[in-house]
Formats: sequence, C-alpha cells, structure tokens
Amino acid sequence: MANKLRERTVISGVGCSRFGDLLETPELKGLSIQELTAGAVKEALDDAGLTGQDVDAVFAGNAMVHSSQVPGTYSQLSKWTGTQFKAGVHFEAQCSTTNVGAALAAMSVAAGVYDTVLVYGLETTRTMVKGYSPYEREPISHQQTWLWTDMAVNQAYGVPQGYDIFSTYNGLVALGYCRKYGMSIEDFDRGMFELCRTRRLHGSMNRKANIQEKLEDRAAREGFSDAFDYWRSDKHNPFVAWPSRLLSLVTTADGASAMVITRADLAKGGKSQPVELKGFGISYSDLPWYGEDPTFWEFDKRAIDAAFDMAGIRASDIDYLHTHDCSHISGICTAETIGYLEPGKGLAAAREGRLRFDGDRPMSTHGGRHAFGHAWGASAGTDTYEAVLQMRGQAGARQIAKRPEISVIHTHGYAMIGTVVVLGSI
Amino acid sequence: MQTVAEQPSAIRRYYEGLAEGVFRAIRCQACGKHTFPPTGCCEHCGSWKVEPVELSGEGTLLFATHNIFPACHPRFEKIAPYVYGHIRLKEGPIVQAIVLGVQATPADLGRLFERGPVPVTAEALPMDDLPVLAFRIHD
Ligand SMILES: [Zn+2]
Repeated sequence: MANKLRERTVISGVGCSRFGDLLETPELKGLSIQELTAGAVKEALDDAGLTGQDVDAVFAGNAMVHSSQVPGTYSQLSKWTGTQFKAGVHFEAQCSTTNVGAALAAMSVAAGVYDTVLVYGLETTRTMVKGYSPYEREPISHQQTWLWTDMAVNQAYGVPQGYDIFSTYNGLVALGYCRKYGMSIEDFDRGMFELCRTRRLHGSMNRKANIQEKLEDRAAREGFSDAFDYWRSDKHNPFVAWPSRLLSLVTTADGASAMVITRADLAKGGKSQPVELKGFGISYSDLPWYGEDPTFWEFDKRAIDAAFDMAGIRASDIDYLHTHDCSHISGICTAETIGYLEPGKGLAAAREGRLRFDGDRPMSTHGGRHAFGHAWGASAGTDTYEAVLQMRGQAGARQIAKRPEISVIHTHGYAMIGTVVVLGSI
Repeated sequence: MQTVAEQPSAIRRYYEGLAEGVFRAIRCQACGKHTFPPTGCCEHCGSWKVEPVELSGEGTLLFATHNIFPACHPRFEKIAPYVYGHIRLKEGPIVQAIVLGVQATPADLGRLFERGPVPVTAEALPMDDLPVLAFRIHD
C-alpha cells in the first residue's frame, strides 16, 4: 500500500467535556447525552472558528449503544450540533473510535472529497437511559458495564469460556513483564504505585479529569501517612488479577470529545493554531492479543510502523506520548515497543519521575485512562485534545516546558484495534 | 410440513466436542498451521482450504493469574475468583483459559510463578449451561 496522505491535513479545532458521571459529577450532573456531546462539539467548532454548517461531513462515534441509545447518532445529534444536511455516519472502533475517526477524516480530506470534517465521540459507561425516559438516567452496575463492553471481545470462544479484561490485559502481561526482565513482584508493585501516582498528579492538574485527587491525598483521607501502605492495602487496592491491582486500571466515565479536520491551506490564518495530522497506523487482532511473550503485541507494532512510515518520523523524534493505559502495565509495554522508553526500564522511569509533565519522557499529561477516566468511544479524542493543548502551549499548570513538536497517541480499541496517530507542529 | 436441515456450525460442534473431551481445531492445507478454537478459514494465511482436526489437549502453562471477583459474566459467578492462564499447546496455538489445580491466591500464584512453565492437560469444565475449556496442572 502507498501509505501516504496526498494532501496535508490538520486538526484545526478540538473540544472535550469534563469526564465523570452524569448523575453526580460537577459540570455534568443533569446533562442529557445530547447536551454532553453538543458541549464538546461547540468547543471544537469555536476553536476552529466554524459553525456546524461550515463542515462537509460528520463522523459520529459511539461504541456502547446499549447505554447511550442513540444509534443514527449523526441525525439524532444534528440539531444539537448545527450540522443538518451534512454527509455523515455513525461508526465505532471501541476505545480507538475518535482517533480512527480522525484517520478516516484525514483520508477523505486528502482524497479531495471533503474540505472539512467534524469528528466526535460520545459514551456513557457509568450511566444509562432510565426506563424509556428521554432525559432521566440511572447507574450501570459493574457487571452490566463489562457484559456490554465485552460484547466487543470474541463472543464465540473467549468471553463464554471465562475471559475477562483484568487477567488478559493486566495480570498475565504483568507476569510476562516480570519474567522477561527479571523483575521481582515487589519491584513491580512499587513501579506501578509510582506510575499511578504520576497519572493522579496529572489528573489533579486537569479540571476536566474524572479523578482530580492525588494518590497521596486520597491515602491521607483514608488515614494513611504513607501512600504506599494505602497502595498495598487489600481493602483499598485489592488485586484484580494478581499481581495487578485495582488502581492500575481504567476508571469508567461518561464523556464526549470532538475535533475538526481540514486541509492545511484552509486552516491558515484560522482562529486557533492548527496541528498537522502527519500520519496514522491501524492494525487489529482477535484474541489472543500476544504470543508467548505477553509484553509484545504484533498488531501494535504494525500500527506503529505504519504511522511512523506515513509521518516520516522515528521514535527519537517523539516529544510527547500517550499510550492506551486502560491497563497501566500494557501502556508501559507499548511505550517500550514504540521506543520512547527503554525495554524493561519503563517502571524505573516512572519511579524516577521521568514520565511526569516536568520529566524528560512526559506521558499522558491529562491523567490517562485512570485519572482522566475512560468513556470508551470518546476517550481517544481526549488524548488528541491533550496533545494539541500541549503543542499549542495551552496546557496550563501541566504544560511541558519545551512545547512538543511531535506527539504520538496510541490507543487500543477493544478488542483489539491498535491505533497510532502522529501529530506535528506547523 | 418439510423439515429444515440444520446447517453445520463450527462453534456448536466445538462445544459439543468439548462436552465429550474432544478439542476440535482446524489445520490449514496451504500453510499447515492450526487455528484453535476453530473457524472456517486459516487465521495465519487466510486460506479457506482447511480440514478439521482434534488436538491432544497437552500444553505448557506459561503464566497464571486470576479473574476479578465478582465475575464480569454471570456464568462464572459461582467459581470466581478462578485462575486464568496463558498456555502454549503442543500443536502450536497459544490459548488463554481457566486453570485447575492451583488456588487463586497471591501466595499460590506466586509459588507457581517462581516454578516457571509447567505441563498442563485440557479438560472440559462443566458449567450450568455450557462446557468450558480448562487446563489442569500436572501434580
Ligand atoms: Zn494457512
């Protein structure tokens, strides 16, 4: 395949909601899914200096239709976003949805079909429609969330025979990592603690994050003077798949994100500084996601290689990285596969503070899937949102001192579609 | 009234075989590799020229962890938390499945991890509504 975009394409506007719970989180409580989504879309359109009538097409992403109940999303949301009469489609690539949308948008712009495309994603993984109410919602149980989410995982043989995300995505990968690099379980645990501490620090600096409380503050609130004692307590942080603990995982959220993709020449002199979408790579795999070595995922490697080839970059060019961190250890493995972190040294880098916004290998400065939270089909757009803020120098207190010129965003769409997007400053 | 013949389904056949302790797979006539559990085409090269085969059920457990409690799926509520492992079958495929013969505690799983890879044999674990593939650790 040629693996080239024929025109330079840019992200000219980004938007994203607070992540949290439509029943209880400040800034979200009481919103309908229509209003939640419209808020993110309005922010992206305002950022680009456009209205919904200025775009040619709308790619509307939503994965877990069971809780959102808005299939035909393009038309159901059209009057809420000002996009009546546009070309549109509802699509999903699970937790890669919004960035796969960005890739599809870039392809359609580079092919000369559309000049400007609006991509948005919405998801409610904490709340669902109550009865037949048009506006009332109720909580989703833990089991129901995973039953619906796991419908994206091998339904012939995997899920029916005992698969769960905790063992396959966390525990087995953790053991593979410890075996491969001769790391003790105790060292692993300490590294995972520091990694979580970093993500929670970033979340505490982000007003849109689901969890804005530092790990140390939470520990103190629970009566622990040493945060690592809190980390090791079975009551507060049990093993969900030994040796992986609860706080190394995703937190569920309701949320929405949006972005505007357009031709580079059209974005010139626009309202906000555009960021080039230099390349992308996409590769999927059914279970098992890895062979004998649980730290190496072939489909990720293929997505990374394709994206780097299209963008014309190498790992040493990367200034900012987000890897999908539904599972913190999987996110470290991906960063090592990419070459941003040295193989087997990712957790040491976390312990040394190198992955913080003020470290030399900044990652996931919005807080990642744990602190920022995870609204499946909307989340990749929040990773892109954060990268664009960092590249523009708009990330506030968590701004990386030297503005990133090349950012790479990796996401795992369950289960699995590895998606890598390369952004470049103009 | 005319009776309608039921079409063969690889999935149905797999579970029916499992109930009898038979581990069905397919082997590719083009590249010789196995696809397990079975589909209608080779997962390695995409060829549709495949033949049904039965696997030995012998394998090596590479890593073992446990699932979450309570279970994500109602089928497994009764047995959660259970041990779940990463297994290389004698014929080549990698499979993840429930593991029997070890407790789902950090201490027991820790000892198993220190021991390294161990031989396992497949068996059918009967659940209320479906037989499930499991691997038992040799003593
Ligand atoms: Zn083949």
